[in-house]
Amino acid sequence: MWFKGQPPILGDFEQLVLLGVLRLKNDAYGAAIRQEIHERSGRDVSINAVYTTLDRLETKGLLHSWSGEPTPQRGGRRRKFYALRPSGLAAIRQAYHAFTSMTDGLEGRLGTK
Amino acid sequence: MLHPPDLAARLLSRRLSPEWRDYVLGDLEEEFRARATRSAPAARRWYWRQALRCLAKPPRSSASTPQTAARDPFMRTLIPDLRYAVRVLFRAPSFAAAVIVVLALGIGANTAIFSIVNAVLLRPLPFEEPARLVRLFHVPPQDTFPGMPTFSVSPANFYDWQRSARLFDGMAIYRFRPFVLSGGSGAQEVVSAAVGAGFFDVLQARPALGRTFRADEDAPGRNRVVIVSDGFWKRQFGAAPDVVGRSLRLDGNAYTVVGVMPPTFSVEAWGATAQDLWVPLAYTDKERAVRENHNAQVIARLRSDVTAEQARSEMEQISKRLEAEYPAANAGWGATVVPLQEVLVGDVRTSLVVLLAAVGLVLLIACANVGNLLFTRALTRRKEIAIRSALGAGRARVFQQLLVESMLLAVAGGVLGLFLARLTLESSAKLLAAQLPRAEEVSIDTRVLLFALTASIITGILAGMMPALRAGRADLNEALKEGGRNEAGLGVRTRRVLIVCEVALSLVLLMAAGVMVRSLLALRNVDAGFNPQNVLTLRVSPPETRYDTPAKYLAFFQTAVSRIRALPGVEAAGAIDDLPVLGGSQQPIVLEGRAELLPRDQPTVAVRKITPGYLRAMQIPIIRGRDVADGDKEVMLVSRSAARLLWGDGDPIGRRVTLPLESRTEFREVIGIVGDVKQGDLAEPAAPSVYEFTQSLPFGLSTVVIRTAVPPMSIATQAAETLRAMDPEQPVEDIRTMEAVLDETLRSQRFSALLLGLFAAVALTLASVGIYSVLSYIVRGRSREIGIRTALGARATDVVRLVIVEGMTPTLIGIGAGVVASLASGKLLQKVVYGVSAWDPLTLGGVAVGLTVVALIATLVPAYRASRVDPLIVLRGD
Repeated sequence: MWFKGQPPILGDFEQLVLLGVLRLKNDAYGAAIRQEIHERSGRDVSINAVYTTLDRLETKGLLHSWSGEPTPQRGGRRRKFYALRPSGLAAIRQAYHAFTSMTDGLEGRLGTK
Repeated sequence: MLHPPDLAARLLSRRLSPEWRDYVLGDLEEEFRARATRSAPAARRWYWRQALRCLAKPPRSSASTPQTAARDPFMRTLIPDLRYAVRVLFRAPSFAAAVIVVLALGIGANTAIFSIVNAVLLRPLPFEEPARLVRLFHVPPQDTFPGMPTFSVSPANFYDWQRSARLFDGMAIYRFRPFVLSGGSGAQEVVSAAVGAGFFDVLQARPALGRTFRADEDAPGRNRVVIVSDGFWKRQFGAAPDVVGRSLRLDGNAYTVVGVMPPTFSVEAWGATAQDLWVPLAYTDKERAVRENHNAQVIARLRSDVTAEQARSEMEQISKRLEAEYPAANAGWGATVVPLQEVLVGDVRTSLVVLLAAVGLVLLIACANVGNLLFTRALTRRKEIAIRSALGAGRARVFQQLLVESMLLAVAGGVLGLFLARLTLESSAKLLAAQLPRAEEVSIDTRVLLFALTASIITGILAGMMPALRAGRADLNEALKEGGRNEAGLGVRTRRVLIVCEVALSLVLLMAAGVMVRSLLALRNVDAGFNPQNVLTLRVSPPETRYDTPAKYLAFFQTAVSRIRALPGVEAAGAIDDLPVLGGSQQPIVLEGRAELLPRDQPTVAVRKITPGYLRAMQIPIIRGRDVADGDKEVMLVSRSAARLLWGDGDPIGRRVTLPLESRTEFREVIGIVGDVKQGDLAEPAAPSVYEFTQSLPFGLSTVVIRTAVPPMSIATQAAETLRAMDPEQPVEDIRTMEAVLDETLRSQRFSALLLGLFAAVALTLASVGIYSVLSYIVRGRSREIGIRTALGARATDVVRLVIVEGMTPTLIGIGAGVVASLASGKLLQKVVYGVSAWDPLTLGGVAVGLTVVALIATLVPAYRASRVDPLIVLRGD
């Protein structure tokens, strides 16, 4: 398949979701990822968009998932947890490298320094 | 403890797939609770926002993936399908051409009619916020003006309305005023709209050049200013840019041009804007105070937050107050508000809807015909379709392919139809100009294009659906069998249904056309109370500025009439103010010795001013008494129905009456009773009328009527010359025969009858072609059976009978269905016909018989062909 050799190119929102999973370590589930993205990037995304993207990333083989136990705060419902597979980590690493090398030396002009 | 909004949660739970339900609902509830500790309402809002976004686009369920995969091929296969369809159609060019032409006719006719409907009924008027423009009318007392929903407005009432009403941004009064324009290319009559202050503000119209009127110009003495139309500016001034400040001679006085209106301001359908000139109304104080003479028009603009209904109730209240305040003039007189658009198109709405319905039926018949052609083709391609199925094409796939083909044909037909519509519209817009309001605006715009596109797509679906469904159902084994002998016998039932539909729809159209034609004939043969043959009419309006005394004015007409009488070929001549059937003055009448009642109780009659000779020229019979004569001073004739209305069984001759609107002191003696004449609409009963011959108030006389012994138009030039010789500055207009005047009033009926007849003819042709082609097909399919029958001893007549029964059975069923449909649709038709019922059994019977005969003829050719089947040849083919 096309992602055998090279990790796949990630879309902007896919990057946010993967980074969210990475940040939350073993506690990455829909609502937590949504809030993490909201707090850090300011983007108030919808839960359906988060799950749609998580599902797509899982289909691409970048994530794996498991169900947790029902909890009372959730009205007795279960959580679906996600974690990065090695290929997911590779993909986000590549995105990071691409971004930093493209912005290298531009800090002045971007006004980020 | 707080819970998330129940409704949102429930909706979500329904929408989400089981795979995601727990996780999403759980996540939302968890975050909701966290947020609710800070602010419950905010949390609720947040939950709803999330829920709505989720409802709009829930996370995909992996179980549904195969479904979406199945949807993809539609788009992926559409292009190849289209390409394939084009190839297939190019391989059968005559078939494609036939279908495209039939559809182009149907869609073209629909588009043409729709573009008329669009211009007349749908497109807004070219004014600022036209929906807020309304006309204000009086509602006359129904006892004295039966059947008249609205009436012109009296000046004093208007000014009271203007002062009291709160729900309008503005209102303005106007009326029409003819002028004689002199100088330049000789004298000509020009009708102007004389408009009160604020007229242009109400319309929010801006001039192209110069300015509109100032409020202070709406006063006698300051009113010698004029605004001209774009057309007038171009014709009269050669579009001179410095026209403002120049002057025009109107009725001998100099008027200064202060402005030019843009071309868009000239809405032909509305008298107030259709004129070439606008002048200030400039009522004197005395004229402003006139309350009982209703002769002015009013336009108003509603406040932006007000509906016509609210304005109407305000006007009713004001009228009630005015009724109480001025009972002598206002008793029984109400007021109403009608949107301008409705005033302009009210009359033609029903006839246009009838036409649109009729042309829609033509398209349906075209669909049925094309459906039949497509079906035949689908069957001849059974083998191809079977092979596709055998190679794995599902029924949906086959269906799609066939539907794409029919849509392609329909869109091609639509494009050609649009082209046809464009061609016919250019000529028909001119033809229609005098018969429909806003006909000059008929054109093809975005809305018409959308209509044509939609019509094409629906046509494609309608025509292609049944064949595509039936073909998709084809039995693989049967179709792939060698020989396919029964091929042509397939789908006979479907075809019979198509014949039934076509015949039924044609019958509805034929019935509508038949009733319309009979209505037209009835109107043409209506006895209007006079003899319109060999009558010539000419209109002259001597300006009251030069013919300023009654004696001068009357003398002009008396001299004119006597000179015309001297012309060779003239039998009689006279003059009148308003010709019959064109409407005119309607006034209360008071008998001498009886008290004048409140207007609501006072009887009214149509009042016409005439000169001696008029009755003879029109051949209006004198029932009792005598005609007016040159020696009479103030005398009156009454029509038979007026005599009955005013005196019952008593004898009116010798009695005296007054017309309070003209004078309360001048009594006129009744000297004769004459026959009833239709003064207005031919379809209405003749109104009670009086004819006055007056020396004191002859103003208004304007039409010379001449009875000739020779064809009337042959003396037209001489008659006009005679009038011009008397006063070279006097324009002579509207030279036409009385028959032409009558014809004019029937134009819209004739137009409807013509179009309906045309549609019915197309429908009949399509239906008979349909019957013929279906029968030919069936005969071909049964030729083996017929051959065997013949071989076994059946005679040619038996075979013919067989085929005729085959063809006539669905035809007769169709006629039955059509009769039912005609009866059901009669209600709409009834609104536009006169003198004949929309359910007229005679017409219905005639149409049914006619259709049967045509269908029978259409079956004869296939029947004859069947009778010639040679059993040897057919059976050898086995």
